[in-house]
Amino acid sequence: MVHAVEVDSLVKRFGEILAIDGLNFRVEEGRIYGLIGPNGAGKTTALRIISTLILPTAGSATVFSHNVIREASEVRKLISYLPEEAGAYKNLSGYEYLQFMGKFNSDDKRDLKAMVEDAAAISGLDERLRDRVKTYSKGMKRRLLVARALMHKPKLAVLDEPTSGLDVLHAFHVRGIIKQYVEKHDVTVLLSSHNMLEVEYLCDQVALINKGKIVAEGAPAELKAMYKASNLEQVFAEVAGLA
Amino acid sequence: MLEGLGNIVVKEVKELIRDPKILIGMIIVPAILFPFMGLAIRFATQTAAESIRAMPVGVIDQDKGAYAQALFDVFSGSNLTMIKLEATNVEQIARDVQGSNMTAVVVIPEGFSPNITNDKQAKVYVYGVFRGAGVAETAGPSAVVSVVNLFSKSLALSKVGNNTAILDPAYPSQQSIVKGKAVNVSPSVLSTLVMMQYIGLPVGITVLIIFSMQIAATSVASEKEEKTLETMLTMPVGRFTILLGKLSGSVIAAAVGALAMVIGLNYYMSSLTFAIPTQASVDLANIGLAPTLPAYLVLGASLFVSLLSALALAIAVSSLTEDVRSAQAVVGYFYFITFIPMIFLMYTDISVMPLALRLVLLAIPYTHPMLAARAVFTGDYTTAVLGIIYVTAFTLVTLYLAARIFTTEKILTMKLRFRRQKPKREE
Repeated sequence: MVHAVEVDSLVKRFGEILAIDGLNFRVEEGRIYGLIGPNGAGKTTALRIISTLILPTAGSATVFSHNVIREASEVRKLISYLPEEAGAYKNLSGYEYLQFMGKFNSDDKRDLKAMVEDAAAISGLDERLRDRVKTYSKGMKRRLLVARALMHKPKLAVLDEPTSGLDVLHAFHVRGIIKQYVEKHDVTVLLSSHNMLEVEYLCDQVALINKGKIVAEGAPAELKAMYKASNLEQVFAEVAGLA
Repeated sequence: MLEGLGNIVVKEVKELIRDPKILIGMIIVPAILFPFMGLAIRFATQTAAESIRAMPVGVIDQDKGAYAQALFDVFSGSNLTMIKLEATNVEQIARDVQGSNMTAVVVIPEGFSPNITNDKQAKVYVYGVFRGAGVAETAGPSAVVSVVNLFSKSLALSKVGNNTAILDPAYPSQQSIVKGKAVNVSPSVLSTLVMMQYIGLPVGITVLIIFSMQIAATSVASEKEEKTLETMLTMPVGRFTILLGKLSGSVIAAAVGALAMVIGLNYYMSSLTFAIPTQASVDLANIGLAPTLPAYLVLGASLFVSLLSALALAIAVSSLTEDVRSAQAVVGYFYFITFIPMIFLMYTDISVMPLALRLVLLAIPYTHPMLAARAVFTGDYTTAVLGIIYVTAFTLVTLYLAARIFTTEKILTMKLRFRRQKPKREE
């Protein structure tokens, strides 16, 4: 069976710091997989390696059987990456930004038009898409970026803290978009979050990471049952030895 | 191979030209500033000329003879406003004039006319009135001296029966030899004309290079500062294409900036020269000193590769910084290198420099378009082409280094910072 993502014994070292220490996990196609853990656990580093941005020190990672090091350009055709602290080009309008990014995924004018219209609907920014990005609030910018990440229906969307820094309303909107999009277009999502409630709502499968290692993995309901916890936060506290 | 390049270039140009710092600092200000400076100078020159006319010159005629009257008539025929004064000694003149608005006083002493009649030298005293108002004060006395010189020359001519050969028994007729041909143009006129291009070109090239470096550095660093780079690097587009897109966008934005500056500067120069009468109209093309089409092509190629080398350098260096300010600061260190050839080559020929200095200058890529500009004037294409080869090699090496940075994770992990760190507060 071909997995959307396969990560084997992944290690990443930044000088003296061991960011990831032998990570192993698999993401099934069409599912939402969440990496959860505190700040500095190694979630972002793992996502950056899978997104071909940085190289692992050891181990391997593949996206739909394409190695992220040797076949980086093939991997980039399949994925869409949304960094935690992403920005958009502030002197372009929302529309111009979506068109610019969309052109990398399709040369066909009709495809591009459909993509941008889709993104406009996902973002819910309507007429504000005609304004320059620099006039957007943080929430509006994040909605634009989520729309950009999903508009071309990537095989794998890698979303690092998709609701990072958003208020309740914007976060609710973004979570709804992700859930709907996966169900409708069969997109696989690999996301990271330190918001356990968000992960519980969104993910089919989760991996709890602490100090660069997976300390527990499974469906949220299974994990809660296994550790006799009422939510994932309690599960994490239990496995990380904080309880 | 370079799929998506056009898309990146269009985005880069939009982003850069819409950036208020670039739009105002590099396009609008030069386009407005230079014409404004020109207008200011034109206004100041006109005002000064009018004020000289308005400011009267006092004349004290102690001679009362025919030649004194003739001199006064010449004064009256000039632009100056002359006022006859009565005074017997210098102290009285000084007292009377200090409180007035006169810029100069001419005293024609007793014996002026008899001396001229008897072929003796006759003295005229010219007093400039100093009030501490600056250089403009010298205009009045200078104008008076010019009128006296004119009067003296016409008197001399009339005494020798208008025979200039007696006045100037020998005089040099200045000619030049250009590219092995004798030309009926004075070397000083020729060198002034060519110098204008020697000075204009290095300054223009230096400004263009500095503009481009700053724009390229901003283009890369703002991607990091605005957190757009990570997303861009995961798009299905080659890293080298991203690099080339940034280079091309920067060249176009810099060219728009340079064009605005050239238009502004052109107006400024025309404002400066409007009052200067054209003394000699020399057609440089006729004497073989105007660049031909191949010369322009070679010069253009030299300029283009130098510009690319500067941009590649700016991109390579700025990709290691973490924000726009740091990028501009680090690129700023390289401006000094662009100034070196400009300063040395503006007034001196490289062939007369010491060997060590010559080698240092030749190692700097920005020297070569300036050398090429001179070389193609004189038809020395070998120097220009050798320069192009050297700069192309330099550019390729720099581009390779920039591409290496772009294709590795260093572009995300290197964080050169050029801002002072805040001191840690002691708890």
